Amino acid sequence: MPIIVNLDVMMAKRKMSLNELSEKVGLTLSNLSILKTGKAKAIRFSTLEMICIVLDCQPGDILEYREKW
Amino acid sequence: MTITTKHMLTFLQVLSWVIFVGVCIEAGGILFKMIYTLFWHPAGADFFWDKADLSPLYHYNRSHFIVETSYMVIVSCLKAIIFGLIIKVFYDKKISLANPFNRYVSRFIQSMAYLAFIVGVFSHCGVNYTEWLVSQGVKMPEMRHLRFDGADVWLFMGVSLLVVSQIFKRGIELQEENDLTI
Repeated sequence: MPIIVNLDVMMAKRKMSLNELSEKVGLTLSNLSILKTGKAKAIRFSTLEMICIVLDCQPGDILEYREKW
Repeated sequence: MTITTKHMLTFLQVLSWVIFVGVCIEAGGILFKMIYTLFWHPAGADFFWDKADLSPLYHYNRSHFIVETSYMVIVSCLKAIIFGLIIKVFYDKKISLANPFNRYVSRFIQSMAYLAFIVGVFSHCGVNYTEWLVSQGVKMPEMRHLRFDGADVWLFMGVSLLVVSQIFKRGIELQEENDLTI
């Protein structure tokens, strides 16, 4: 998929672990892992909002569009 | 006492076994009778299978007898395969009532659809072939004795199941998308 999830980059910038993010956002570790590895088919606005609040960033910092080669 | 889905599935499993044994006996019997008539004794055509007297056809032309009985063998074998598949589904334990919409069930419905359609096609060919033989002046038994009855029903079932399998497939895709929505 040409939409890249840069969640790991933002987590590294904020020095936040997956467990901590999972607790603060209210998502299970498995769901967060699906999102981080790019296996997710869709993301709810409410989830995106929570992630943006916790990581103090914009949706564009987490999601990126890259054209397929 | 209310009849639950589990009770219904158990009943269907028993029913499938009974029908499977029946169609297997029929398929094996017709195949054996065909080989017996062709290679051992032509008298086997007199009481070919279930009141079907194929001796006029055998004496008319042996090749036509082979084609007609081949249609019978193919149709009965395919029916046995259909019920074998149903029993296999019950024994593979892949029907989960907690999560009934999965790829395995989708593939099963699709296979059933194709098999039912093929049974319909061969039965239809058998009916047409028998009618042609009757027009040639050969005395032929009734279609139900030749196991070619209900050709259009099999075709209808095949097409209906194919439509259901496509809808089922789309449903599974939607469910998977829903599961992967975070």
